[in-house]
Amino acid sequence: MTFKSLMNSILFTEIAQGLKVTFRHFFKKKLTVQYPHEKLTLADGYRGFIVHRRYDNGQERCVGCDLCEAICPAKAIRVVGDIHPEFPERRYAKEYTLDFTRCIFCGFCVVACPVNALSMTKEFAHSSFTREGLIYPKDKLLALGDRCEDESIAYLKVRNMWDAEDSGKEEGRYHFPPIPTT
Amino acid sequence: MAKVTINGIEVDVDPSMTILKAAEKAGIPVPTFCYHPRMDPAGSCRICAVELEDSKKVVMSCVTPVADGMRVLTESPKIHEARKTNLELLLLHHPLDCPVCDCGGECPLQNMSFAYGATESRFESHRNDEPEDMKSDVLVFNANRCILCGKCVRICDEVQDVHAIGFINRGFDTIIGPPLGKKLDCEFCGDCLEVCPTGAITDHFVRYKYRPWQLEKQQTTCSYCPSGCQMFVETENEAIVRVTSQEGVGPNEGSICVVGRFGFNHVQIPERFDTPYMRSLHRLVPSSWEEVLPEIASGLNAIRKKGVDRIAGLISTRVPMEDAYVFQSFFRKILHSNMIDTGARYSFMNAALPIVAATGTLRPLVDHEDILKAKVILVVGADPVSESNITGLFVKRAARKERSRLYVVDSEAISLSSRAKDHIRVLPGGEQIFLEVLSEEIRQSGNLGAEWISRKEELFKNWNVDPSAYQRLLADLRSCETGIIVAGRKLFQLETPVAGVESLLKITGDLGWIDRPGCGLFVLPEASNDLGVLMMGASHEWLPGLMDSRDPASRGRWEETWGSRLAYGPGGGLEEILKGIDEGKINALISLGENPIGHFPPGSRVREILSKLDMIVSIDMFQNELSDMAHFVLPASSAYERSGHLVSAEGFVQAIKPTMAYWGESLPDWQILDRLSHAMGSPMGVDSAESVMSEILRFLPDLAPSSRNGSHFVGGTGEIRLATPVASADGCAYGEMVHEGNGLSTKFVSPAHKANRESVSSRYAQWREGIKEEPASPYRSIAGEGEFVLELTKSLFHSGKMTLMDSNLKKIQPEGKLRINRQTARKRKIKKGERVSLRTAYGVCSFIVEPSPAVSEFELTFPVHFANAEVLALFAPGLDFSSGTGAPVTHRIRVSLDSQNAN
Ligand code: SF4
Ligand code: SF4
Ligand code: SF4
Ligand code: SF4
Ligand code: SF4
Ligand code: FES
Repeated sequence: MTFKSLMNSILFTEIAQGLKVTFRHFFKKKLTVQYPHEKLTLADGYRGFIVHRRYDNGQERCVGCDLCEAICPAKAIRVVGDIHPEFPERRYAKEYTLDFTRCIFCGFCVVACPVNALSMTKEFAHSSFTREGLIYPKDKLLALGDRCEDESIAYLKVRNMWDAEDSGKEEGRYHFPPIPTT
Repeated sequence: MAKVTINGIEVDVDPSMTILKAAEKAGIPVPTFCYHPRMDPAGSCRICAVELEDSKKVVMSCVTPVADGMRVLTESPKIHEARKTNLELLLLHHPLDCPVCDCGGECPLQNMSFAYGATESRFESHRNDEPEDMKSDVLVFNANRCILCGKCVRICDEVQDVHAIGFINRGFDTIIGPPLGKKLDCEFCGDCLEVCPTGAITDHFVRYKYRPWQLEKQQTTCSYCPSGCQMFVETENEAIVRVTSQEGVGPNEGSICVVGRFGFNHVQIPERFDTPYMRSLHRLVPSSWEEVLPEIASGLNAIRKKGVDRIAGLISTRVPMEDAYVFQSFFRKILHSNMIDTGARYSFMNAALPIVAATGTLRPLVDHEDILKAKVILVVGADPVSESNITGLFVKRAARKERSRLYVVDSEAISLSSRAKDHIRVLPGGEQIFLEVLSEEIRQSGNLGAEWISRKEELFKNWNVDPSAYQRLLADLRSCETGIIVAGRKLFQLETPVAGVESLLKITGDLGWIDRPGCGLFVLPEASNDLGVLMMGASHEWLPGLMDSRDPASRGRWEETWGSRLAYGPGGGLEEILKGIDEGKINALISLGENPIGHFPPGSRVREILSKLDMIVSIDMFQNELSDMAHFVLPASSAYERSGHLVSAEGFVQAIKPTMAYWGESLPDWQILDRLSHAMGSPMGVDSAESVMSEILRFLPDLAPSSRNGSHFVGGTGEIRLATPVASADGCAYGEMVHEGNGLSTKFVSPAHKANRESVSSRYAQWREGIKEEPASPYRSIAGEGEFVLELTKSLFHSGKMTLMDSNLKKIQPEGKLRINRQTARKRKIKKGERVSLRTAYGVCSFIVEPSPAVSEFELTFPVHFANAEVLALFAPGLDFSSGTGAPVTHRIRVSLDSQNAN
């Protein structure tokens, strides 16, 4: 042991060096957010919980096409298509379940959806005491969609999936078969 | 031969071939929409464009014949451009429906659009917005998605010969549909649905319920009729979603009928038995295999001890061969009983017995390909289209495309009648008289006395036979190179069926058809496996291989082969079984999918007789009259769940494969019997359906699986290898036994050919001696003044009674209607949908009428599937087994019509 190291041990130099950083941060601006009392602003492209969307007239958009089920890499979606009970010419999702315990929030399903029935929101804090609580049926997804409509539109816009809606052309809206405007 | 170079590959082809076929031969795929191998080319879709290298011209490969030295390019920038432009035009009005279109995922148009990148159109137009035609109960036409390739129209015309749909309007407004905007009224085969390259045709049953990529596909054999169609059952999560066919696969070549395509729903409904039931305090209560099997076994053991032939067995002829084989060995080896019979007894047995007696085989001497080649076809007492749909299609094709001369002898106008050169419309039941006269005239060839001739004329007058048509038929039969007689259900259900079949045998023999290739008799069995179940010896007459069960020699051979004693008694069929039960000589009945009560009029005491039994075991899928009185009901697996082999009308041995898991606790019949034998303490030790099949093949090697696309079946059913310990070539004409691995297996060295054409021999006469005499005057049912003959016929839309449980088929034909001649109805002021009542000496029953031009004025027809106790009450009560083969006779009766009863 050299003299220098002996002195270092006696005078706790190393600890002082370490604490220097700590003391410096005493006087800096705080970064910690006091969640849940405080929340950060999330970007529009944030891939939070997935929701189901409706047309302006309240009609649910999903046509039960199964494309989201087909693309989902985590096999989190199950769609059961059927004839719409009121409009026999229309297809709809008789059952739609999204298993958020499996979902990896990749956003593929939103891209696959031809009618913009899916979008992602800034919701992320949906917890549950059971697994079943995280398996969302269609009505739950729609309710969430109603609550977070602005977020879902913002997501689609920032991810370039809103053009067709805005194009004004009837074709761009992908209504299968044309949905009454009432 | 023409030499053609396609993409640099040289092929030698027939100069009549099109470029498309030549490319196919060279192994080069060319995209097509409107081309279909079984139909005339149309050249309407323009996607199959190819470039001729020399002239730089773009031609349609499906309609352009090859020329010698032609050099063709199937892919080139020019072709790419042509196809892309073409797609842009096809998509001009096409809706953006892919996500909801049932075709999406298996759509050739979609695939082509991806392949050629036709995502944007240079042309401006509107999207078609025609409302869908949903009037039909089965098919939905979406004109917007249609590319007007015309395949649907052509298959309906050229293959089905039904002409139900066509092009409506012209130009951009052209749509596909039934004429005059009516509701589609056709055979609902669904072939148009199958061939449509887009989602323009869909069906109500599965519309929007699936995506093609979710489905698992399994090829299997349809188990309804004896055509033996190869079909693809597509399932999702162990539930059948749809049934499809594939072009060129199986004897059906890609067509399947309405029953096969849509009749799959009954196997997945809650009404199906899903667990064993046991009677307790007069009620059937759900139970378990562990509980019921020992109960049944102890009951059977007790009865078995009493003596031979104490337990009776009935088996349906829709079960695979394997099950029939296990069934008969269970009865003969374990239960010591030969009191067994099959569902064929009601009809097909009437043909099988004389034919086997005469020729020694149940193998038909001709198949559908021979029908196509036949110069003369006589259809007598059969409606091939509804009895064995594919046979019907082949007869239609022969008459239409091959120009065979088709004669129909039937009281009713069947769908083949319009294609017939002559339709001889005898009075109901007159088919047999007709055949008798015909056979006599052929036999005597000109040496007929004046007396006979005047009798003939009188008979013809009485039975409404057109003598000139008869003469034409006679001349054609005598002079033709190849001829085929198709006979079916109606002929076998005459009051004296043996006489009818005998006439047929005489005719084929006397015309020298037995030895002439491509000639002969094509009999239509009633159910999918009549032939297989009989070949397996499930009826009391025969041991497996159609060997006489009462002949000690054949019994001895099987005993030696099986290494177990067959201690059965003389046995008997349905007639003897019912009699035995009545007399208390039979104490138990095991029924595999059969319900004798439903076949007899309510007054016939069958129920009363059966109630004398100590034990009834009903192995079935659904509740019926027998299961209602059974002591044990065991759930059977359906043909969609088990594996096995069926023998088609043509004699092809084809596999049925499991497409979904066993329903509930249900088990296949062989397994139920095997478990029962274990419970009884005399195990049969059957491992699997496959092991049964390999046992069958060891003894009856000519039952090796076969189909038209593979090899033909080999040998007659007479080729039996019982207890033959030879290892070297045994000089057999059909093959040789070789050692392969450890076992003895058969290898066929000689070329595969059809059944041996053994001549109609004295064996027949001997058999004829042995059977009971049929009543001398069989014509009980000729209609008197103001009377009709009521006949129970087979409907195209149902098969047996089981399909009445099928929601899809019930939607197509929900109820049985009494068909009456249109003129007669008009005369008697009976309108469609009204109720009339029919009266016989035995009962009265009311029916909804449907006037039809197909029925003759002496006749009323009613679909047999809907013939419940009320309808059967019209028939003579009592057990009428007067036919020579011991078949019950209840299919035709004289009735008087009471239209006053209309309400
Ligand atoms: S975000 Fe990805 S993982 Fe989640 S449901 Fe959609 S496709 Fe599936
Ligand atoms: S992709 Fe869209 S329309 Fe299709 S099933 Fe999924 S959510 Fe519904
Ligand atoms: S027919 Fe084919 S291309 Fe047309 S909408 Fe249906 S899937 Fe798409
Ligand atoms: S309905 Fe289908 S098969 Fe018929 S013409 Fe149109 S695209 Fe072709
Ligand atoms: S019922 Fe007969 S014709 Fe119809 S699909 Fe089945 S085997 Fe084929
Ligand atoms: S396939 Fe040749 S034109 Fe349609």
